[in-house]
Amino acid sequence: MESRIQLKNVNKEFKILNRREGLIGSIKDLFSRDYRIIKAVNNVSLEIEQGEIVGYLGPNGAGKSTTIKMMTGVLEPTSGEIIVNGRVPYKNRSLNAQEIGVVFGQRSQLWWGLPVIESFKILKDIYQIDNKSYTDMLEYYENIVDIKSLYNKPVRQLSLGQRTLCDILAAFLHNPSVVFLDEPTIGLDVSMKSKIRELIKALNHEKKTTVILTTHDMGDVDALCKRIIIIDKGTVLYDNNIENLQKFFGAYRILKVVFEKDASNHTDKSLEESAIELQKQLIMHFPSAPSLSVTVNEEWIDILVNEGEISFIEVMNYIQSLKKITDMKMQEISTESIIKKIYEGGIQ
Amino acid sequence: MSTKSLSFSKYFTLTRAGVLEALSFRASYIVTILGNLIYLVVIYYLWKAIYASSSTTVVNGMSFKDTMIYLVLATALASLFEVFLVWNIGRDIQSGKIVLDIIKPMDYQIYSFFNFSGNYVVAFFTTFLPTFILVYFLTGGAIALGTNLIFFIISVLMGLIINFCIDFLVSTICLFTQSTWGINIMKEVIVLFLSGATVPLAFFPEPLKTIVGFLPFQAIYNTPLLFLVDESLSTSKCIEMLLFQLFWVFFLFFATRLFWKKSLKILTVNGG
Repeated sequence: MESRIQLKNVNKEFKILNRREGLIGSIKDLFSRDYRIIKAVNNVSLEIEQGEIVGYLGPNGAGKSTTIKMMTGVLEPTSGEIIVNGRVPYKNRSLNAQEIGVVFGQRSQLWWGLPVIESFKILKDIYQIDNKSYTDMLEYYENIVDIKSLYNKPVRQLSLGQRTLCDILAAFLHNPSVVFLDEPTIGLDVSMKSKIRELIKALNHEKKTTVILTTHDMGDVDALCKRIIIIDKGTVLYDNNIENLQKFFGAYRILKVVFEKDASNHTDKSLEESAIELQKQLIMHFPSAPSLSVTVNEEWIDILVNEGEISFIEVMNYIQSLKKITDMKMQEISTESIIKKIYEGGIQ
Repeated sequence: MSTKSLSFSKYFTLTRAGVLEALSFRASYIVTILGNLIYLVVIYYLWKAIYASSSTTVVNGMSFKDTMIYLVLATALASLFEVFLVWNIGRDIQSGKIVLDIIKPMDYQIYSFFNFSGNYVVAFFTTFLPTFILVYFLTGGAIALGTNLIFFIISVLMGLIINFCIDFLVSTICLFTQSTWGINIMKEVIVLFLSGATVPLAFFPEPLKTIVGFLPFQAIYNTPLLFLVDESLSTSKCIEMLLFQLFWVFFLFFATRLFWKKSLKILTVNGG
């Protein structure tokens, strides 16, 4: 399959004024030429194929939105090459716009004062969708979500979830080959989230639309993405299948225990102390397993074990020899906690 | 894409949307008309005092009646032209919503124009036309209705485009300043004064009048209004005035376009 999106060694720098504090500082800023360069995106290369759903993840301020804005043609990269649908987006902004769809979870492209269906009609004209494709698309929409009841409601009266739903439908209306979804499920309730995930999945499947999804909700990632790209401080940390994530970063499991002494007297302080103490003991005892880490999670003490370094049973036996355990659980590590660890720099 | 009419529908659908949206906020037009009425009462007494203190009934070639017609219609034109473009684009820049407009498959400058064109249409019918008819009957038909009306309509359209371009230019500056308020106030004062919307240009002292004559601002209000109030204009003078407007339409259209394209490169979109 041909690749829809290609990024080669893309960099994006912003010039930011170094601001000073306080009133006098602000006045000084008016005349300041004291800029610093921020590298929002640093040497990013990737290729995305037709029909993929790619999760584009990273902590706040990692450079996700900047990359998306470059792919949509809003921003021009400082250096490097971007090709979307065979074109350089910022040089052919209008043509590129014709073949992409965008949803920013925080903002709406719909006409605030008008009924939903009017917004769809306007988009039909803007994207020059012919009558047949338009009615077919609406019919398809009506089959997968309950949208008909919203048609005549003004956008400003919709709930956030309904509005997001309509925004997503609006982005797919002109049957674009690529759709960028920037935090589409932000602020939505559980049932709306799953509805929107189903919708995205169905549209991707039916129309073979490439979907680039940025989100902070690992539920979205687990439900939709086969492939994830993790970016932090402008650099790609990981780009592979979601299943490989666990192998790539080690076979992690969590051992959760409650010690006898702590069960009766579970103030946070004594738990914290025993966690720190346990961490020291573990590191002394298992010098071959430097990634063992102990954290407090409500009344549980969590021990993160990398089975590539040491076997789970060994750790358990050792802990049992130290203290009396009243309760114990084993937990497979979730995508969320792996990604959390990556963001926090725990895994390199 | 397929036919020419289709590609026009791309723009006129925005006009239609603007009309629909403006009509759903119809209360704002009533407020505009009320605000204008209060303003007009003030200028009525102001100019009455000016004429009363003068020894002649005609000052700078304009009678009290001429001046009032000029100023009332200038106010009506100002409500027609004012679509708060700088406010709206400035707000979109600050909130980052501008991204969604930039990635529409059309040119942003033209998109913006048509995005606000619905407001022009509605303001024409709710503010300008009623005012015009009212003035016509109140003054007992003092406005000449002949070929000058055709000149007037063409001239208003060009004035509108010049005003839009100046607004668009100021909006572009907001990309650099990230702030709207001060710049917008400054623009409004400069445009309304130098265009002759607050004081007819006939009252300007000589050197200033000459300088203002070379600037685009007077082509926004003064030129169209002269077609209505100044009956002494010869046809060749009228055409000269229209050509002057046409020059500014072209110049500003392409200049603001270029400025926007260059400025977009420095765009840092707000909001992550």
